[in-house]
Amino acid sequence: MKLKRLLIAGAALAFAAFPAMAGELSFWHAYAGQQDKVDFINFALDEFAKKHPDIKLDVVAAEQSSYKTKLNTAMASGNPPDVFYTLPGGFLNAFVKGGQMYALDQDLAKDGWRESFLESAIAQTSKDGHTYAVPVDVDSVVFWYNKALFKEKGWETPKTYDELMALAEKIKADGIVPFSLGNKDSWPATFWFQYMEMRLKGSGVVASFVNGDAAATLGPEGEQAFTKVAELAKKEYFPTGFNGMSDQEANMLFLNGQAAMLLNGTWQIGASSDAPEGFELGFFAFPKVDGGKGDQSDVLAGVAASFGISEKAENKADAVTLLKFLSSPEVMTKYVELRKTMVTVKGATTEAAAGPVLYGISNDLMNSAGHLDSFYDTAMPPAATNIYYTSLQGALDGSVAPADAAKKLEDALKANK
Amino acid sequence: MSADIGFAKRHNRAALAFLAPALIFVFAFVAYPVVYAGWLSMFQWDGASQPLFVGAGNFLRLAADPIFWASLGRNLLVALSAIVFQVFLALAIAYCLVRIVPAFSRIFLFFYLVPVMVSEICIGLLWRFMYNPYFGLVNAGLKAVGLDSLKRGWLGESDTAFLAVVVVMSFTYLGLYVLLFTAAVRSVSESVYEAAEIDGAGHWRKFFSITIPMVWDAVRANSLLAIIGSLKTFSLVFVLTNGGPSHASEVVSTYLYKIGFGSFEMGYAATIGFAQMVLTALAAWVVFRYLKRKGDA
Repeated sequence: MKLKRLLIAGAALAFAAFPAMAGELSFWHAYAGQQDKVDFINFALDEFAKKHPDIKLDVVAAEQSSYKTKLNTAMASGNPPDVFYTLPGGFLNAFVKGGQMYALDQDLAKDGWRESFLESAIAQTSKDGHTYAVPVDVDSVVFWYNKALFKEKGWETPKTYDELMALAEKIKADGIVPFSLGNKDSWPATFWFQYMEMRLKGSGVVASFVNGDAAATLGPEGEQAFTKVAELAKKEYFPTGFNGMSDQEANMLFLNGQAAMLLNGTWQIGASSDAPEGFELGFFAFPKVDGGKGDQSDVLAGVAASFGISEKAENKADAVTLLKFLSSPEVMTKYVELRKTMVTVKGATTEAAAGPVLYGISNDLMNSAGHLDSFYDTAMPPAATNIYYTSLQGALDGSVAPADAAKKLEDALKANK
Repeated sequence: MSADIGFAKRHNRAALAFLAPALIFVFAFVAYPVVYAGWLSMFQWDGASQPLFVGAGNFLRLAADPIFWASLGRNLLVALSAIVFQVFLALAIAYCLVRIVPAFSRIFLFFYLVPVMVSEICIGLLWRFMYNPYFGLVNAGLKAVGLDSLKRGWLGESDTAFLAVVVVMSFTYLGLYVLLFTAAVRSVSESVYEAAEIDGAGHWRKFFSITIPMVWDAVRANSLLAIIGSLKTFSLVFVLTNGGPSHASEVVSTYLYKIGFGSFEMGYAATIGFAQMVLTALAAWVVFRYLKRKGDA
């Protein structure tokens, strides 16, 4: 482990030994390994070379998992690349705190660049009113349902939470599992808790803890959210033994028609591609909760990746040109087409590139959402995430009381800012 | 006389030269990490930033950590079940193979050894399939014999998850002990059994009064192996339940992994690892002493 780190530091130093000259930029990205990622970055870099022959890029690519260590080491040793790929949230915030990120506010204000993004996505790469990176792609969580099964049984997609509960009761009576869930790895059930908290209290709860807001709290809604989710388990709306099943096993139940619905991310589109003949994937928004104080149109959606410029970069003008190019609609549309995920640039997720389901989510839900709230578990500090996972598993299992789960989570969020 | 000493010395030097490479490896890959973990256990460190010295802070936290103690308790239960369902059962099976059905002992031994030869990760994944509440063999089997009421989500319910893991462990490691005991039981002299038979002893009596005392050294060694293995068990728990739901099947190693690579609390993880090592060594020592026969030095 130590040796590896030394090697990476050595590599970082070696790269830094050649300072960028005028018209030259160092650019680091994590689009390596997977074919769709490589295809995208090759397309983008080729186009960039054609359009801006005067700017020479010194490109370094790494795979996602090793990239994080690599970038962290380069940043820590004070030799950052000029332009680079970064994850939003805690990862980016650490660099912002160290004064290593260039604030893009003035550049974004020009030529309507800022307006080309979904404002709520920009919010996820901003801190204290300044934007430090441009968001690229975004994953969102919606209800997925088996369209053929719904048609056959005459079920209607619900608009309110009460309707959802009534529907679940009906489905259960038919001998089918209402909601598939495979919570062995703990993240799948977090969507249930987070949507409840968002509907009951509002978006940005965990973000305010992470930003060090002294008034940040889960509120009594935290306990209510745990209670409501635990109720679903108690009423046996989830599969038997869901806490021991993997997400893939839950997906099998859903694709086989043994479960009717599933609350999961947009990656479900890819996961449903090997469904049996006749399976059709449908989606609906997490329904409104009566009496909830949150904006009922909010969507749980997290920016998955972004690009930023280091404060130390010598020619920032060229760096901004590169970012503008990467976030231009034509490059982003190609991104959607190749990678089948939504992007944060308005209008770039076209129907032709995205396919009907993804386009529907982007067009119907995301564009009309009041706020996009990023994934709690990735926004939190790691130690708090661990406690979040086990408390939620325990609340679902009945071994941890909802009040205790809420208290444990709140304490962990306060202790680890 | 003095020439003899010189000869012995020269031999010593040659022996040391031959031992040196192994010794260097032991120092580099065992002694150094152990010392490093001990040193790290006094720091608060997230793996990236500057470590912060906290002295005995981590050990105090460990002493008051209910999850750690519950996990350790589970490790002890695993050890207990290993003594009964791996060591003792294996000895009984070995006796049957050697004394009752010697003609089939090879084929049986082969089947017992299959799980030992397959990697634990594969065994864990296979059992995940068996335990699956919807497609799995376990629930289907219960249904087939009319025990529908016993069907459940074995790995996903906090009252059955740990039990389900222990069953898989016993199944996995049993074969190894059967193999070791078969060799030991075979080496017991036939004349002792013949003498017992003349006195009218049955299999029961022969097993307890002859076999067990005669292979006691093997029992001791295998119990020690089983206990050490149980205290540091990791892979089967990790694959089957990952310690869940909500720590219900957590053992020390999986807890250590979560603290180290989930929460990135490297210092505290080192503390847990260090405590685990010390406790394992202590348990091994106690067992070795306690299982000594009367009259042994």
